[in-house]
Amino acid sequence: MNRRIEWRLAALKNGFQDATAYRIEFLIEVLGQAAVPVVTQLVIWYAIFKMGGAQSVGGLDYTQLVTYSLFSLLFSQIRGGDLDFELAEMVRTGALSNYLLRPVSVVEFIWIRGSAPKLFLSGICLLIGMVAAATAGLDPTRMAGAMFLALIGNIIHYQLSAALASIAFYWEEAYSVLMVKNLVVGLLSGELLHLGIFPDQWRWVWEALPFHLYVFGPTQYALGQWSTGLYWMKLVQAGAWLFMGWLMIRLSWGLGTRRYLSLGG
Amino acid sequence: MSTHGPIISVRDIKRSFRSSKKEEGWKGTLGLLLKPQYTEHEALKGVSFEIEEGAFVGLIGANGAGKTTLLKILSGLIPPSAGEARVMGENPFDRTLPFRNHIALVMGQKAQLWWDLPAIDAFDLLKAIYGIPEAVYRERLNTLAQLLDVERLLKTQIRRLSLGERMKMELIGALIHWPRVIFLDEPTIGLDVVAAAKLRDFLREFNRREKATLILTSHNMEDIERLCSRVLILRSGELIYDGTPHGLTRQGERRLRVRVAAEPSIEEVAQVAGLETRFVEADPEHVAGEAQLFFLNVTSDGLMGALQKLMSRYQVVDMGIEEPGLDTVIQRLFQGTA
Repeated sequence: MNRRIEWRLAALKNGFQDATAYRIEFLIEVLGQAAVPVVTQLVIWYAIFKMGGAQSVGGLDYTQLVTYSLFSLLFSQIRGGDLDFELAEMVRTGALSNYLLRPVSVVEFIWIRGSAPKLFLSGICLLIGMVAAATAGLDPTRMAGAMFLALIGNIIHYQLSAALASIAFYWEEAYSVLMVKNLVVGLLSGELLHLGIFPDQWRWVWEALPFHLYVFGPTQYALGQWSTGLYWMKLVQAGAWLFMGWLMIRLSWGLGTRRYLSLGG
Repeated sequence: MSTHGPIISVRDIKRSFRSSKKEEGWKGTLGLLLKPQYTEHEALKGVSFEIEEGAFVGLIGANGAGKTTLLKILSGLIPPSAGEARVMGENPFDRTLPFRNHIALVMGQKAQLWWDLPAIDAFDLLKAIYGIPEAVYRERLNTLAQLLDVERLLKTQIRRLSLGERMKMELIGALIHWPRVIFLDEPTIGLDVVAAAKLRDFLREFNRREKATLILTSHNMEDIERLCSRVLILRSGELIYDGTPHGLTRQGERRLRVRVAAEPSIEEVAQVAGLETRFVEADPEHVAGEAQLFFLNVTSDGLMGALQKLMSRYQVVDMGIEEPGLDTVIQRLFQGTA
């Protein structure tokens, strides 16, 4: 097998082995991450509609918002993890030295290892989504396209986060920057709220950023709220962000590693 | 990659670091927040040397002498502030693919393997990263595991291994791709005597068998004495010695051990023997009221004269002649008294 393919497959396998070394820990993490945001949304919508007597929020009724919350759960599982924090910590502590001298790209290596459990989850979520879509009278094949967009969103998220993590080369610590980024992404990806409830004059904010391609876009496509034409347009937009992310990593890590001090030895 | 001439060549390498300075207490905390101050530290001050392929070189120096900085420059982790380094004909900091395929850096204080996985899983990944054919990989893994006596531990989670066992696994991980140049930064740190001896045997055998070039830093003089045919000594960022370990002991120098039935001071003994005080040491475990032991570092020619002078002044109850230990010589060099 080609060496370039072989190491990537081996890194995926190794990452999955590492993530699942403690089975209970792995399952609790997955279920906890899935349940908490969804339950929070369901409680809020119940309070507003059933207890508060509201008829619609941002033009969406109770059923639409609950359906969105449940389906968005499948895609929010695929959104990037905390690999950017790992990168920044490696720069700060000097652990990056272990990877810089290996004949592979360190940024890509960390993504492949870290995304292995996400890929596994995406398979499970796709199956669950297809069954759920068929049950709810939706087109199950749209689920595959939605999951594909979510996976591209995962890569874009990592690219932008990795570029931000390179701040650690200059400030040694990038934790606050990455924390703020996570809060913004949580809000503008559609993971916490349906982006349709944003005021119309703010719409350009999330549309101009790639975050809505992570959760909101895939959910809208799966629910039949996005036309096929819009989906393809968003895929092209995602392609442009991928290229931009690649450039940002090249630039930020190319410059950053020149300032690396390899502390701690 | 070039194979002609020295495998490592270093010309007038300098490296400085800038770090923020914080005064103690509240004033210092506020000062750091509002107007941080920086200090510049020169870790290497113009170091030059060359190393031939297949050499086993010891790099020694006190804490902060610049050893690890030099290793980081040679392995390509950081660039020098000035000067030029070439390893296998390349600028290490370019970190080209062929360069990374042929070097290894082992840092005794840093784990490179993944704690929650058994070592064999990490080695399998390294096999794919370096594109090692399956049969070659199996042969190398068997050889390394046998030499280091860890065959039975390959499937055990790394975190469950002892420090010595982990270090051996780190070494296998660093060597599985058969690097031409290996940088070892204190590989025996924290190991017990038996584990350290096994590691030394292994490194010696690997160097002999594979003709790999090894650069070793260690505070353990036994590592240096037993393994290295050449020693580089750094003091405050300067190369103060480049030669064989035996060359460190001055030509014809002897260590005269004398126990006298009196308790004179070092200064007095030095004066009687006609030596400078720095060449005389007293036994640190001397018990008051008993005959005192002194060690005098003298030349072969001056040995008899010094002994006669001491015997004419004191009652000598015991004496002997020794080769000065590397530890003693290095200590004098670090203190700048040699």
